[in-house]
Amino acid sequence: MSINSAAFLLFLLVSVCACYLVPKRVRYLVLLAASAYFYLAYSLRAACCLLFTILLTYGAAQALAALHRRERAELDIERVDRSGIKKHGKRRRRLVLTAALVLNFATLALFKYLNAWMGTAGVLAGLLGIETNFRPLNLLLPLGISFYVFQTSGYLIDVYRGRVSAERNLLKYALFVSWFPQMVQGPINRYDRLLPQLLAGSDFSADNIKYGIQLMLWGMLKKVFIADPLAGAVGEIYGNYTQYPGAVLFLGAALYCLQLYCDFSGGTDLVRGASQLFGVEMAENFRRPYFARSVDEFWRRWHISLGEWMKDYLFYPLALSGPMNRLGKKVKSALGPHLGKLTGPCLSTLIVFLAVGIWQGPGFSNIAYGLWNGGLMSLAMLCGPLLSRANERLGLGEDKWWFRAFQTLRTLLLVIIGRYFSRADSLRQALGMLWRTVRHFGPAGGGIFTCFGLTGWDWLRLGIAAAVLLAVSILQERGMPIRKTLEKQSPAVQFGVLFAAVLLLVACVYLNTDYTAIMYVYENV
Amino acid sequence: MDKLMQLLEENCPSIDFAGEKALIDDGILDSLDIVMLVGEINDAFSITITAEDLVPENFNSAEAIWALVQRLQAE
Repeated sequence: MSINSAAFLLFLLVSVCACYLVPKRVRYLVLLAASAYFYLAYSLRAACCLLFTILLTYGAAQALAALHRRERAELDIERVDRSGIKKHGKRRRRLVLTAALVLNFATLALFKYLNAWMGTAGVLAGLLGIETNFRPLNLLLPLGISFYVFQTSGYLIDVYRGRVSAERNLLKYALFVSWFPQMVQGPINRYDRLLPQLLAGSDFSADNIKYGIQLMLWGMLKKVFIADPLAGAVGEIYGNYTQYPGAVLFLGAALYCLQLYCDFSGGTDLVRGASQLFGVEMAENFRRPYFARSVDEFWRRWHISLGEWMKDYLFYPLALSGPMNRLGKKVKSALGPHLGKLTGPCLSTLIVFLAVGIWQGPGFSNIAYGLWNGGLMSLAMLCGPLLSRANERLGLGEDKWWFRAFQTLRTLLLVIIGRYFSRADSLRQALGMLWRTVRHFGPAGGGIFTCFGLTGWDWLRLGIAAAVLLAVSILQERGMPIRKTLEKQSPAVQFGVLFAAVLLLVACVYLNTDYTAIMYVYENV
Repeated sequence: MDKLMQLLEENCPSIDFAGEKALIDDGILDSLDIVMLVGEINDAFSITITAEDLVPENFNSAEAIWALVQRLQAE
């Protein structure tokens, strides 16, 4: 059931009605039933995989909670070796956590990477003259596995750290993991922010319904009017890159930036809006990333829930680990305090972005994408003081609008280069495209916009939609709350805007027999 | 506390540690600042702040950081 389909809208309508018709204390059972239906309609096999993750992480969290209780009971006894008990308790908890995380991520690795890794191993074996008879396994990637494995792992680490208490009710926990709006493409929600809302059973609120519908419509418009038309054009450029001059390849990467943003953030808006209909606010995932003035800032605005996850559960533990600390001290004595201080953060950033690259997919181009971003951020940390001093001497500061615009464009350029890697089918293709862009930039020639399977009318419609998106984004960047501003208008204006959006979607999607729904890019991640 | 304040101001001179009470919640300290400060605090007070201690409640203000330092010194 695609989240853009009429079937999904009908399912949503029935679920919302059922939710508000039952008493609050059992409402979570309705939400769980809706989530189970949504997932089972997708695939029974994938549902078994989801159930495995739920049971595994539920059991591990109960074991961690039991170890916490045992430790507290032992500490209550007078005249005991407190530090010894704590140390021993921590070791036992760490063992449980490690085993659970390994199993949890192994599920993800099995479905997402096994075929690719075995294929690579087969190629390497072939180079060494060893014959292998590898045939890809028939593994359907369960919907949302990359998201729910991370979400449940974050929960387990929080229980281990004592930040949250383990949920004892299996059904409530199952709802936290399988809440249907987050299953398509995240966001990666946090237990302490999501589950209390799911269990609270908020009162029916016209505002929640109104804001939810607005957000869903906005997300669908981005997907249908920008992301979907661009998908074919981008696919054509990347797929046949040897036939195009470098300028077109660069345009293709830039268009992919726009497509991916509208696809991913559009899908996120849609599911966040759907969740809001039930009075449940999910984590924010995008904050106009292409206005960022550094790569670091870009990653604080793009796929925010993944970035926060990586920071809390990977970056900090790595950067503050004993080995990293010792390495930093060695570098400090050899190369000075500046490099010594930055050794841990830089190496940790590289590892984190390597993980982000691998999270995107198994290919080497994804690894290169991660290293490109991690490398840029590490370089920025190392050169930060130098650049600040240079800017100061040249009188360049944030008070100058043109300097801010330069920083934004510079960041955009770096992000576009990164997209050569993240969209390409292989590292070879990405490097080939980059090579052509630099060496054969060439004149793009007239009429290129009529290529790529789009007509002049398609480009015009795309241009108008992109201009509206840009205008809204600029207003939001300037601090204007769009929905609140709309609310201040007369009911006729509010209704007119809503009606126009619905009419556009109905005419272009639901009544248009030529419309073919295109899968979300991150639906299969 | 004076030693901590001096350390904080030396490492992040642009931040008003005496007045700010939401260093993490308001995004005043970023992850790089935090990691670098933790390294300095660990060395200065002979303690080990781990990733588990990196929650906003422990880093939102100079007082909260000082309370964390005292707790870790007592353990």
